[in-house]
Amino acid sequence: MGGPQYDLLMNPLGAVRQTFEKAVASSQPSDVDPTAVYRGKDWGIVDLLNQYLFDQGGLAQVPILDASSQKWMQPNTLVRFRGMVQDMLGNEFYIGAFKDGGTWRTNKFMDFSPFSAPPVSQTTLWERHLFLCIPVPGQNSWAIESTPYPLKRSISNEMTCHHGEKRRRDDDPNRICVISIFFYFFFNMQKDFGSASRHRIAEINDGSSFPTSSFSCLVKVYDMPESQLKLNEVVEFIGIYTFEPELIASNNKEDVDDDMMMFDFMDDVTTHLPPSKVPRIHCLVSRKLSTSDLILNSPAIEPLPNIMRGIRDSLVSYLSCTLGNDVLAAQCLLLHLLSKLRTKSDVASVGRLSLNLTGFTQETASIFGSQLHNVIKTLVPYSHTIPLTIEYLNTATLQPKKDNQTGRLVMGVLQLAIGTHLTFDETFMQSGTLNSKGVDNVLLLKHLMEHQTVEYDFQFYKLEMAAEVQCLIISEAKSNILPADLVVPVCPSAVTPVTASEEQLHAWRWYLATVRSLPHLTDTSICEMLQNEMVDAMRKDRSLGCADLSRWLTMAQLMASSFGEKILSVEHWQMVKEIERLRKESCLLMPFVFDVAVVFDPELREEISSTVKNCFHRSARLLVVSILENLDSVSDTAELDGNVCCSVLKI
Amino acid sequence: MEKLDFAADKDRAKDFLTNFTDDDGEPKYLNLLQDVANRKIRAVQIELDDLCSYKGLEEGFWERVIGNTKRYVGVFAEVVDELMPEPTEAVAADEDRDILMTQRVDETSDSADPNADPRQKMPSEIKRFFEVYIKAVTKNTPMTIRQVKAANIGQLVKIAGIVTRCSDVKPLVQVAVYTCEDCGFEIYQEVTARVFMPLVECPSSRCRVNKVKGNLILQQRASKFLKFQEAKLQELAEHVPKGHIPRALTVHFRGELTRKVTPGDVVELSGIFLPIPYTGFRAMRAGLVADTYLEAMSVTHYKKKYSEYELKGDEQEQIERLAEDGDIYNKLSKSLAPEIFGHDDVKKALLLLLVGAPHRKLSDGMKIRGDLHICLMGDPGVAKSQLLKHIINVAPRGVYTTGKGSSGVGLTAAVQRDPITNEMVLEGGALVLSDMGICAIDEFDKMEESDRTAIHEVMEQQTVSIAKAGITTSLNARTAVLAAANPAWGRYDLRRTPAENINLPPALLSRFDLLWLILDRANMDKDLEMARHIVYVHKTLESPSLGFTPLEPTVLRAYISAARRVTPCIPRDLEEYIATAYSSIRQDEARSNAPNSYTTIRTLLSILRISFALARLRFAETVAQSDVDEALRLMQMSKYSLYSDDRQRAGLDAISDIYSVLRDEAARTNRLDVRYAHALNLISRKGYSEAQLKECLEEYASLNVWQIHPNTFDIRFIDP
Repeated sequence: MGGPQYDLLMNPLGAVRQTFEKAVASSQPSDVDPTAVYRGKDWGIVDLLNQYLFDQGGLAQVPILDASSQKWMQPNTLVRFRGMVQDMLGNEFYIGAFKDGGTWRTNKFMDFSPFSAPPVSQTTLWERHLFLCIPVPGQNSWAIESTPYPLKRSISNEMTCHHGEKRRRDDDPNRICVISIFFYFFFNMQKDFGSASRHRIAEINDGSSFPTSSFSCLVKVYDMPESQLKLNEVVEFIGIYTFEPELIASNNKEDVDDDMMMFDFMDDVTTHLPPSKVPRIHCLVSRKLSTSDLILNSPAIEPLPNIMRGIRDSLVSYLSCTLGNDVLAAQCLLLHLLSKLRTKSDVASVGRLSLNLTGFTQETASIFGSQLHNVIKTLVPYSHTIPLTIEYLNTATLQPKKDNQTGRLVMGVLQLAIGTHLTFDETFMQSGTLNSKGVDNVLLLKHLMEHQTVEYDFQFYKLEMAAEVQCLIISEAKSNILPADLVVPVCPSAVTPVTASEEQLHAWRWYLATVRSLPHLTDTSICEMLQNEMVDAMRKDRSLGCADLSRWLTMAQLMASSFGEKILSVEHWQMVKEIERLRKESCLLMPFVFDVAVVFDPELREEISSTVKNCFHRSARLLVVSILENLDSVSDTAELDGNVCCSVLKI
Repeated sequence: MEKLDFAADKDRAKDFLTNFTDDDGEPKYLNLLQDVANRKIRAVQIELDDLCSYKGLEEGFWERVIGNTKRYVGVFAEVVDELMPEPTEAVAADEDRDILMTQRVDETSDSADPNADPRQKMPSEIKRFFEVYIKAVTKNTPMTIRQVKAANIGQLVKIAGIVTRCSDVKPLVQVAVYTCEDCGFEIYQEVTARVFMPLVECPSSRCRVNKVKGNLILQQRASKFLKFQEAKLQELAEHVPKGHIPRALTVHFRGELTRKVTPGDVVELSGIFLPIPYTGFRAMRAGLVADTYLEAMSVTHYKKKYSEYELKGDEQEQIERLAEDGDIYNKLSKSLAPEIFGHDDVKKALLLLLVGAPHRKLSDGMKIRGDLHICLMGDPGVAKSQLLKHIINVAPRGVYTTGKGSSGVGLTAAVQRDPITNEMVLEGGALVLSDMGICAIDEFDKMEESDRTAIHEVMEQQTVSIAKAGITTSLNARTAVLAAANPAWGRYDLRRTPAENINLPPALLSRFDLLWLILDRANMDKDLEMARHIVYVHKTLESPSLGFTPLEPTVLRAYISAARRVTPCIPRDLEEYIATAYSSIRQDEARSNAPNSYTTIRTLLSILRISFALARLRFAETVAQSDVDEALRLMQMSKYSLYSDDRQRAGLDAISDIYSVLRDEAARTNRLDVRYAHALNLISRKGYSEAQLKECLEEYASLNVWQIHPNTFDIRFIDP
């Protein structure tokens, strides 16, 4: 086949028809029913499009559809859309092929047939799958911006994209799954149709609430193996955008209502997703997006150890800056950011590392907490912060729930794209009473932390869905509501404003994405050593459980890959042990200080606790503790003189 | 396309309906039609099973029926019309209808005009007093909604799912009847689609000849309506692939099938998968999209009781294969909670709990329970709860609860005031809800005092009695109790006696057939095992292989339900054996200075129950001696887990204990030799292993106490 006779960008449907007719004409012998041959199969249009998009660099030419570009988009042209699969609406049967006079014609990738309805005997029913997609919840603005804006089609941009795509494709040809897709776009019933602009999305992302489905689309997938697309996956769809004004014109309510009277249960999705507001797109190619796909102009360098080490060091110092120069907490935070669920065997989930940063008060949380949020937002593509308060727990809808009346899955806060970063801020928590919804929400969160799954409510039963999210908890003391794998007290010593250049941020994003995708390997030789060390540790400390040992290994492996290494070495194991030792030390310190403080009379206690709180530096705190310890043993209980104590504290 | 010969198929259908006989030789369908004629029933259900097994039909017939069911429902209805016998009993007359029918019959005979308008001819539907359904083959496993594809359109499919929504039952016009104002003729209009256009002008020949446009009036009383109901069916949780959302399907119920389902029911439906013909605005879109629905042909509710468990497909075969395998007892018990390492004897006991023994009802009305009760006691973190939850998953009917209970109802039952009607209502607790099943009670030691008293009754009499607020009643609670408890001080305190640690009254303890103590003892091997496991999981990202493939829970469930149907009995010659075993346990206890166990007549019943369960597992009609030996071994092992420390303290080592057992046996039988197999039985009852027996044999042989046969290892005492 030569070059495409049709402009694929402006008239993809022409190509669809042409290739179909060609394929039918060429199928021999001619008496064979061509519809049987091409049911559930592609007849060459997808190949044609792939060739155009990836080999001829057409991808950059394809405009991205979003709330703002939707206004000037031409019907029946090629567009692309990036979104998360939010709901699956089953399959739909349509007249895929029919005989118009003597020739077979197809309706595939179309909403509306340009030909009059044929007699039933000359049609065949084909099926397609329906998916409801929305922009990824919690997507950070840098991840949106990194997608090339369609209007800025400069030559250089095109070139880099072209190379970028090619490289990726050569890397992993399987990742680009080629399926024929066709989807509608529509705005949800939300009234703020016009204002749902790019910067509104950005604005919402700044706030703590989600952009609750202000923009969503219905995707129809053809010829797809059953399990190809999964819920909550982030996918890029490339397809044909169509708009049929006739449908909208005829969609006056009475007509539909009349007809619908008897069809109580025949409410196919489109009645709840009114076509009058639905500009549509027919999509042909889709591919799953990973984090590294979002960083478009990534340096095409091999993850060499020395480069990785450099980036790692700069990132750790950046993170420690954010946490008030606490290097230990910064190290743990890095490991946490690199964590990724590898597998879930029957009991333990491997690779997950949720982190609980303790030692924050309302005041320190407002400084370091918000600083931390901003930093995370600039580093990961999807992030979300939940302020944990009694009121929030009692009112928020965390659990996604199926509405059997409309047949739709109603989004809950915990329906998140795979790989989303979730921060819980527990410092706002006050004592109070949870109602039944609150209890459900707490259980849901706990389950998410422990098993990395969220139960979706389907009214008559619950279904567990995998939710691969990284959880970070900021709290005053160890959070018992949300049991994290790793509890690290933060001891900030200085408040330094954090700044980073765009290049640095870019390098870190690339680093995080690359390291997360590195494989973890363990040498057999080191296994023996690890086992023995674990047994030793267990003998020393009977309270060590399966979870602790598993966490050590996870941390060691993450440590290794943070240096760009694929294989775990003794050195990294030792580093983790050192971190663990330091962590234990500071964990023990925290409650001790307050325990001692409780002993004294109330006046004194207040003075001490305020002094201790002001002591940002860990060593100072250590000093205080040791002095208090001595004092406690020397003088029996209440014999203490307040002045002496305070002067001691001021050293 | 092959030309279908419906006339020939109609003859085949007729032949089938007249000549088919069921297992008893009765003409099943003719009897059915007689009942229909007598207006006892309305539904004529034609089972494809019968069609399949009927010899006189050509191969392709039933395949054609499955492939184009809607058409064949019509074919069968016509045949039924022809075969309909005269009523043999006086029929409760449906007056309106009968009067109308007689009039109609008169009229049609009056104007037997061959050229009459077809709409003036009475459609056969209006005369019918029955509905024809075709039921899918029961043997096949039902499809999931996901599996129903475009290729299934028009076919009879069988689908399992859960009903999520139901509409009201509404009348649906099947035949609309009009009368003409001018000529007085009745005009019939058959309605097949969901929407129809009412006739306005009289099409009768008289009106046509007279050139008047006769005004037609719809006669609601004369028209035929069908009950009609819509429902939404959703995929079952276990059929949804990972990361997907359950699919839904619309189902239409007509006539007799309405009001069969309510939301929340798990059902198996057979029905015809059909597209909906569009009209109006929808027809415009029909250029592309077609909605589909399932026209229900039969409804089966899923049962959750063992006794009603139906074996599907190849399950029967699988069970037979398993039963032939000698090692079924070990295989099944290992498949329980395969991810939990070790605890072999505990798992065996749990398997027996699932199987249970038959209930006995004596002639004087006394009932002896067959359910086994097991209590697991142990340190925190030894996977007790996981074991409990797994057992509940395997059992077809099981309730998992904690001692504290989750509602005011508690474990047993409560009388509560209905908030709307203000009436007192009886609400069953977990134990009542798990009647004929298994009730797993976690945190048994933290039970409410009121429940603790009630549970005594449940565990022996298997009823819950209520005398509150004017309601005096007794509810059945025929349930096997599986309890898990923590020791008195949270952890087992080795410095205290077992009785102190267990912290449950003897009256309650004696009701448990088996009591296991699972301790978390510091153990180098176990620590290493755990470390190795964790490293392995991290390295390979999968759980280490178990060394065998565990049986699927469905297979397990099927096997157990099959085993539960067996009712074994005890042969006469074994009675003596059991009696001696029991009395020797009693004597042992009397002899020891610190009796730790309470051997009562309940113990004897427990031995019998466990033996019965073991026999059931083998599908044996009679209990064998090996069953009794295994039962005694399990009881001994359960005691051993409690009192093993005492034994060591008492200074009685295993070897000398085995010796004394063998010595006693020789003295009892008054003979000098003991066969090896017999010896092994004896000592395993006491909870010793074969290795220990061998050690004992060698040690005492070297002391010239006995001689060991070199080949058979039989023991012969050297006369003192």
